[in-house]
Amino acid sequence: MNCLIFGYGYMGQIRYRILRNHPDVRDIRVVDPGLDPSTAGLDGVLLPATEKIPWEQFDAAFVCTPNIATPDLCVEGLRHCGHVFCEKPPGRNWEDFSRIAAAAATVPGHTLVFGFNHRLHPSVQAARALIGEGGVGDVLYIKGTYGKSGGVRYRENWRNDREISGGGILLDQGIHMLDLFHLFVGPLTVVDAVLVDSFWGCGVEDNAFVLLRSEQGVPAFLHSSATLWKHTFRIEIGCREGYLVVSGFLSQSASYGREQLVIGKRQFEDEALALGNPREEIIYFDRDESWESEINEFIAAVKEGRPPRHGTIEDAERVMRNIRDVYALAEHRAREKSG
Amino acid sequence: MRSILTSYTFPLSSVKPLDGLLSYRSYCLTRTLEVLAGGTRRREQSPMGDAPLEPFGNVDGLDYLRCPESGSIFLAQLPESMKWARLLAEVSRYRHSPGTFHSGIAQSRGENVYTPKLEWIQSSLRMLGVGRPRVMEVVTPPSDFTRFLGASGLFAEVLTVDEMELVMAADSQISPATNGDASSGRSGAAQVAVLLESLDRVNDPVALLRTVAGRLTAGGLLFITALVSSGFDMTVLGPRNLYLFPPDRTNCFSLRGLELLVSRAGFALLEVSTPGVLDVEIVQAHLRHDPLLPLSAFERQLLAANSDAHAAFQSFLQQRGMSSFARVVGRKQS
Repeated sequence: MNCLIFGYGYMGQIRYRILRNHPDVRDIRVVDPGLDPSTAGLDGVLLPATEKIPWEQFDAAFVCTPNIATPDLCVEGLRHCGHVFCEKPPGRNWEDFSRIAAAAATVPGHTLVFGFNHRLHPSVQAARALIGEGGVGDVLYIKGTYGKSGGVRYRENWRNDREISGGGILLDQGIHMLDLFHLFVGPLTVVDAVLVDSFWGCGVEDNAFVLLRSEQGVPAFLHSSATLWKHTFRIEIGCREGYLVVSGFLSQSASYGREQLVIGKRQFEDEALALGNPREEIIYFDRDESWESEINEFIAAVKEGRPPRHGTIEDAERVMRNIRDVYALAEHRAREKSG
Repeated sequence: MRSILTSYTFPLSSVKPLDGLLSYRSYCLTRTLEVLAGGTRRREQSPMGDAPLEPFGNVDGLDYLRCPESGSIFLAQLPESMKWARLLAEVSRYRHSPGTFHSGIAQSRGENVYTPKLEWIQSSLRMLGVGRPRVMEVVTPPSDFTRFLGASGLFAEVLTVDEMELVMAADSQISPATNGDASSGRSGAAQVAVLLESLDRVNDPVALLRTVAGRLTAGGLLFITALVSSGFDMTVLGPRNLYLFPPDRTNCFSLRGLELLVSRAGFALLEVSTPGVLDVEIVQAHLRHDPLLPLSAFERQLLAANSDAHAAFQSFLQQRGMSSFARVVGRKQS
């Protein structure tokens, strides 16, 4: 398989590294107009930005660009290659996503996968396996906090420029947590939300508080933040027979702490010495193969001509619909407030 | 790879009280000495490699040797396999007789030893997406755990295989007999193998793992528990540890040694953990038994601290792989 990567930033470099080691990948080329060919260290790999893209040479496109470029490249990639792997979010907004979805619908046998790799983290996979009968039982509620501290160059980052990104921290990072909520409790609708630009003043939300409900009535609450001075990733899942807490995250910076899953059992006075202090077991994970797993799945789906198992257009649609509704609600509230 | 921290606690007296252990230990040592008197071979090299074993210490007249690379500990002299198999069978029967401490605390051992092990296997199978496998329990029968495996409903079939028959099969290439529940009696590949302290007992742990690997399907899972020499009470007490005696503790791998052993037998490591809860209490019990026990000032200070400090220290040992009770899950590589 010959692969074309658009964008050689943080994500593009990760995809390049993984594709280079994949046995089914013959050739990789990178397109990034922002790179200086003399210093990029991609001799023979970087396609000149001025030349027309030789689409006919490639089997799959990887779209790792700022959000503003995502829909055009996905549409072109689908049209020419038929197989596209797109980083989250799938565009700046619902309209961008709808363009991608419409293009995919016109390409028979296409493969379109979105990069929701958090689903494949070992703590998340383990938590999902333990939910249900014989495990910790059905889900009663779910709460998630995902946030970062921003940093001194936060305001300069394209992710916080509404024209380029389409939204703030909810669209950038909160989208992962929303995807995990869907993984655990199925489709969700927005009940209420509060968005604030409380610290950074970029014109996009730096904190989002979103209340949702699943089709089965399971409540879910998300706090997505760019003012969590201590980087945090934490999901609490209350279940009928116990509870699960996923926290920490294996990442390059390790700033989210040690990835772990707390498994607690519901114990009342008849089973535990102290009510409200049940027996817990904590599993620590030291290997994250989520990046590799999602690329492996994408390539396997292409090779086998079957639908992908995760990161599907339906997964993307669910989260983008929620984000659309949150932004619409916030806009409505802002209009009401301003009179 | 996974590691574990648990808040599950129970007292030493509910699973292996030191006072109760002493007469059982004495029986085991006496019987081992009798068996060894009939002729032995001396272990020269570490099972994990070619390193020559070094002296470690003497336990009631029996020498133990140490692997310099991994820190694992091994009984120096061993008889031929058949004699060792007979000794393990005799000790197992004795353990199930009314005279030992085991029978007096059978219920609490069930709650605190076997139920947590079954839950560990159950949650691991669930997380790994394995449903109703055929399980092979590797043990010297009779085994208390067989009943727990059978009653769990987790397994399509429970096969109990004599650990020493597997060791001897490695040499002779003979397929050992299996005792299945539901009167199946069939032999063949299993999807799961369970070795509860089996590697601690057998005379040739490398051969045992080789045969177990051969009896597992590709991708089959291996569940191991063991007492490890790298754990807190083992490192503090050394040869004075009264829980170190043959044949139950013929081998006492370090955690690193256990990892090497399992990896070299063709298994990918999925979990290596030390969720032990008794390290501090074991040292305390030894100090009560022998107030002149040579301990450092720090060790005495730790033992004199309150229960919160003990719990925090035990949690630290669990988290950092420094408790003496180890669990390993491996997946057979194709």
